Amino acid sequence: MATTVAAEAKFDLTLTEEQQLVQRTAREWSRDRLLPIAAEIDEQGAVPRALVREMGQLGFMGIDVPERWGGAGLDMVSYVLVMEEVNRACASTGVVLGSHVSLATAPLARYGTDAQKERSLIRLAKGEWLGCFALSEPASGSDAASMRATARRDGEAWVLNGTKNFITNGAFADLTVVFAQADPEKRHKGIVAFAVEKGAPGFTVGKLEKKLGIRGSDTAQLHFTDVRVPDDQRLGAVGEGFAVALWTLDGGRIGIAAQAVGIARACLEDSLAYAKERHAFGQRIADFQAIQAKLADMATEIDAARLLVWRAASMRDRGERHSAAAATAKLFASDVAVRAARECVQIFGGYGYLQDYPAERHYRDAKITEIYEGTSEIMQLVIAKEMLGDASA
Amino acid sequence: MKLLVCVKQTPDSTVRVKVAGDGRSIDASQITWAISPYDEYAVELALERKDADPSTTVAVVTVGPTRSRDALRQALAMGCDEAILVTGAAAESLDGLAVARALAKVVEEAKPALVLCGRQASDDDQGLVGQALAETLGWPHVSTITKFRPADAGPAGSVDGIDVWREVEGGHEVWRTSGPVVLTVQKSEKEPRYPSLPGIMKAKKKEIPEKDASSLGVDAGGAKLEIVKMEPPPARGGGKIVKDGDMKQTAAELVRLLREEAKIL
Repeated sequence: MATTVAAEAKFDLTLTEEQQLVQRTAREWSRDRLLPIAAEIDEQGAVPRALVREMGQLGFMGIDVPERWGGAGLDMVSYVLVMEEVNRACASTGVVLGSHVSLATAPLARYGTDAQKERSLIRLAKGEWLGCFALSEPASGSDAASMRATARRDGEAWVLNGTKNFITNGAFADLTVVFAQADPEKRHKGIVAFAVEKGAPGFTVGKLEKKLGIRGSDTAQLHFTDVRVPDDQRLGAVGEGFAVALWTLDGGRIGIAAQAVGIARACLEDSLAYAKERHAFGQRIADFQAIQAKLADMATEIDAARLLVWRAASMRDRGERHSAAAATAKLFASDVAVRAARECVQIFGGYGYLQDYPAERHYRDAKITEIYEGTSEIMQLVIAKEMLGDASA
Repeated sequence: MKLLVCVKQTPDSTVRVKVAGDGRSIDASQITWAISPYDEYAVELALERKDADPSTTVAVVTVGPTRSRDALRQALAMGCDEAILVTGAAAESLDGLAVARALAKVVEEAKPALVLCGRQASDDDQGLVGQALAETLGWPHVSTITKFRPADAGPAGSVDGIDVWREVEGGHEVWRTSGPVVLTVQKSEKEPRYPSLPGIMKAKKKEIPEKDASSLGVDAGGAKLEIVKMEPPPARGGGKIVKDGDMKQTAAELVRLLREEAKIL
């Protein structure tokens, strides 16, 4: 009979000396440089380019890229540590970083040729270039395989046509990892991935979306009209595009799960500070058991979510199958973030509903973690498929 | 030019320190340790010199328990070239003078052109080690500096001595020193840099040689100072709000309280 007991954890919760230093740099930088302007980033709807450059100088933008290709040569665990800290301060900046690292540098590092890495990965890893990932379309989100964007072979090049939707970093990205259908009869096995550079004729940025949360990060529509892409900008084999997308999203989901932990932590830490300060009925509201129960539940759930994130990251680092572990981490952590944000607003009371306090921003920011890079419902499918697959084997 | 920076690992400034059960030390169980802030400024100043002149090498040294290695690793990750840890049983209970003597041995061996220390450590605030080190070495020292650079090159382009900036009331003084010198640092122009991730990976590959404090001729019995007692500051009493009466009466009452109760007028 199949067992549903999780695979042996095989990970040590003690962070290595480097991981601790990475966490410290990320924590201090986020606290000093990011947190003080997080509300402004949200209000203005833009993450300053200077901040992105700073993240490049600190090595965040190429954290898990090998040193040979301009990166810091760290691992996925280090990446989730950085993601938690950055997102604890500002989820908009967090998603700029996460999309760049998980969705652009990662597929290039894994599927790119040496020539492609020489040309693009080094600049991405140093933060000189910003990357983005273009899979979703107006009529296909979760059902990515039904994409309508097409890639037609023409001599030594491909001709791309179609529209991509909800593209984080899309308006400013120097390099776009884009997916198109080359052979519709083969469904997902006909999809090809490309690394297209900014400025390619026919490649334009369409409207920018107005969003509920993570308002500092830009979300753009991208149009491809007879865009000629040389074959040497193809990422992976012909027909391998869908596999590239899935592998990339497995990593992206771990990053978003770490973002959710960061947002949830912001909710908890802001709630703690407020509960100790605010008085009602002659005592601090932190002295009421109803508030204590909320704080304790938030802390417990955040801890559990973080452990799932670390496990998924360490499995990816070891090269093990981690699709279900990544989905589990994202499903749970995003739920934790949304709940923590709700409790945070509740603890702040009326002030939680005002833009003058951070609770309101957390409430808007948290929701997206249940949607992008695979909705919670898709996460459930991934997890169930793994169990059912094992059971029938 | 070779620079040597002396650092101390102290509780991180965000940590709330508690007195331990023995009443004469701090409870170290829940403490996050960091490079003492003034020492971090000293590291930053040294690294700024290295930025300006890449032929500069920056070594960093600490005397303390084995956990102090983390402070050295952080300094390496910020960009220092090498690190030396002076530790061992004898290093656990040294006073400032004994630390200065141990550092003097390291200086004699490393032969730096100048030595930088923070002006004081953030834990005991004694502000002793820099000056004591200069005295032990027989070197001059300039304290609480904010900037230094090789003195303006003469016509032949030669560098003669080091110019040192100190903040004073309403401006700053510039001192010129010749030969080796100990500088204690007030602050750096820029905030100390964050260790970059590539810097952290480079630091990982560096060995941190360990010297036993007793091999430097320093022994624990040599401490001239002993901490007899530590006590937290008294808890602050509640404030008093003066609100009865009109503004004139309130002001009069406030003055009376400041004079008679608080005794500060």
